[in-house]
Amino acid sequence: MIDIDKKPIEVEVLIAGGGISGLMAAISAADQGAGVVVAEKANTKRSGSGATGNDHFTCYIPEVHGDDVNVAIKELFNSLLGAYQDVSLARTFFLQSFDRVKDWHQWGIDMKPHGSWEFTGHAYPGRPRIFLKYAGSNQKQVLTDSARKRGVRIENHLPLTEILTKDGEVVGAVGISIKDERPVMKIFRTKCVVLTTGTTNRLYPAPSPGWMFNTAFCPSNTGGGRAMAFRAGAKLINMEIPNTHAGPKYLARCGKATWIGVYKDPSGKPVGPFVTKPTRELGDITADVWNSVFPDYHKSGKGPVYIDCTETSREDLDYMIWGLEHEGNTAMLSYMASEGIDLRKHRIEFMKYEPFLIGSRGIEIDQKAETNIKGLYSAGDEVGNFRADIAGAATFGWIAGKSASERAKRIAGFHKAEESPLVQDRAKFYSEILQRESGPSWKEANLTLQQIMNDYAGITVRSETLLKAGLKYLRDLKRKALTTLFAENSHSLMRCLETLDLMDCGETIFLTALERKETRGLHVRSDFPFTNPLLQEKFLTVQQEQGNVRLEWRDKR
Amino acid sequence: MPPIIDKEKCNACGVCADICPTDVFRSARRKETPEIKYPEECWHCNACVLDCKQTAITLRIPLPAMMLHVEANDKMAG
Repeated sequence: MIDIDKKPIEVEVLIAGGGISGLMAAISAADQGAGVVVAEKANTKRSGSGATGNDHFTCYIPEVHGDDVNVAIKELFNSLLGAYQDVSLARTFFLQSFDRVKDWHQWGIDMKPHGSWEFTGHAYPGRPRIFLKYAGSNQKQVLTDSARKRGVRIENHLPLTEILTKDGEVVGAVGISIKDERPVMKIFRTKCVVLTTGTTNRLYPAPSPGWMFNTAFCPSNTGGGRAMAFRAGAKLINMEIPNTHAGPKYLARCGKATWIGVYKDPSGKPVGPFVTKPTRELGDITADVWNSVFPDYHKSGKGPVYIDCTETSREDLDYMIWGLEHEGNTAMLSYMASEGIDLRKHRIEFMKYEPFLIGSRGIEIDQKAETNIKGLYSAGDEVGNFRADIAGAATFGWIAGKSASERAKRIAGFHKAEESPLVQDRAKFYSEILQRESGPSWKEANLTLQQIMNDYAGITVRSETLLKAGLKYLRDLKRKALTTLFAENSHSLMRCLETLDLMDCGETIFLTALERKETRGLHVRSDFPFTNPLLQEKFLTVQQEQGNVRLEWRDKR
Repeated sequence: MPPIIDKEKCNACGVCADICPTDVFRSARRKETPEIKYPEECWHCNACVLDCKQTAITLRIPLPAMMLHVEANDKMAG
C-alpha cells in the first residue's frame, strides 16, 4: 500500500496550487484572519506559468482610462482574451484591478518601472490600451514572501489530487507528497478549497513531436483543478471552445506582444493590417487576434511568416529586450546570444501553437469566485467564464481568498474527512499503480491521449462522427490506463495522475463539442458550418451528478 | 540535455531541484550534486540558471526547439 500520513492536516482554507491566483488567494484569506495552507506541486517561488516573470497586467486605471469602466471591458472582449466570458465578472475584475496593481507595487513588484502607468503592447492603433507594462521577473518570490509574512503555510511538492465532499459541501482533500522517491498520501480536513491550478497543457501535441514539455505555458499545469472540480460535481463551462497561442517557431514561449516588430511574409510585406512601422506602444497585434495567420500562410504556400524587428528603433529594441527579460524569457535571450541570432539583422519565424485550456474554458464561478459546490472556489487560468490571464489570476485569486475566509468563519468545526470512502478508494488505486511491476508508462498514455485529441477533437475539423469515434477511443484509453498504468516512484505517480486528469478534461471537451452543433471560433463543425445567432448569448456547461453527465445551456451573465 | 550542472562549481545546496517547476532534478542524497533525472521534461524556463548562486548551471536548448531565422535583407531566404 502507498504510505499514508495518518494525521490529517486541519486548515480553514486549503489552496490547490501556488501560482499567481493561489498566492493571492492565500494572502487575502490570511489578511481576513483565516488559517491557510497552499499545497503546491513544485515550489511557489518558481511554479506555474508565471514562474520566471511577466510584463503585461490587464487593468483599468481611472486616471488613465476615464470614469467609464465599460471602455476597458470593450477592449478586453476585443483582445486576445476574447469574449467567452461573463461581462459581470469582467466588470468586477476591472473595478478591483487597480487595487491589486497598487498592492503588488507596494510589496515589491515594480508596476511602474518607467515612472508612470505605462500601457504598451497588445494594442490596436487608435484604441484605448488596457495592458499595463510592468517588471514582473520577481513576482513569484515577492508573492511567496508576502504570503509567508502573513502566516500562510506553504507545502511545496505536495499536489492535491482529489476534493472530499459531504452532502454537497467541501470537507477535505487528498494530496500526495512527492518530496522523496516514495510518495506519501496526505489527507486534509478543511472548510474550503480554492482551486488555482492554472492552464491545462499536454492535452494536444506540442510543436516538436515527442517533446511534450516544449509548451508556451507551464507543462506541469495539466488540468488538475478542472478535473478535480468535475469529479466533485462542479460545473465546467466553455470547454468546447479551443484556444491557441503563438510565438517563435518550435521554441514554444509566451510573449508575442512583448516583441516589437512587424509580421512579414518572405518578400517583406506585412501580413496584418495594423502596423507597418513598429513602436513600443503598438507592436503588431496581428498574432493576438489572427494567430492562424501563421498556418494560413503556410498552407497557402505563401509562408513562412516572420517577425521583423530590423526597423525597430534602438531605444524600442532595448525596451523589448528588457520586457522579454521581465517576462521570464531569459533562456531564449541567452540562446539567441549564443547562436548569434541578432534582431537587428535577422527575422524570426513564428507559428501557432497547439490548443490548450486557459481562462474562458474551465470551472464556472460566480461573483465571489465560488463554484456550484459549497466551499469550492476557483480563480485564475482555470476559470471558464472569465479570462484576464495574470491580472485575472491576481484579482479573482484575491476575491476567492476573501470569500473562502468568510465562509470559514461561519462554519464551526471540521468534518472527519479522512473517513470519506473516497480516501480508501484513492489509496487503493494509487497503491495499484505503484505495485505493478510493468505496464504502460504515463508517457505512453499521455502521447496516446494527445493523438486522439488532435485527430478527433482538434481545430481543423470536428463532426459528430469524428467526435463520437474519438470519445469512444478516449474512453477505451482511459479504461486501459486505469487498470494498467505503472509508476516506479513519486515522480511517475504524479505524472500518471496528471495524465488521468488530462483524460477527464479531454472527455468533457468531446462531450461539449458534440453538444455545440454549430461552428464558433476554433470550434469548427464540418456538419454545422454556420455560427448560430441563437447561441450568441449562451454558454454551455457540463457537470457530473451521481455518475451521469449533464449538459446545459445558460444565458451569459 | 537541458540543464547542465558544472560539478566543480556546484555546492550541492539543492536549490535547483527544489525550485524546478517540472521536477527535472532529483537529489539522491543531501549534499550531493542533483541528478538531471528527467531532462526531456525541461520547460526551458531558466529558473535553475537564475537561482543558482554558484552560477553552476547552463541550459542547453535541444535541437528540435532551435529558433528558425533568416537574414532580413535576403528577400529569397524565406
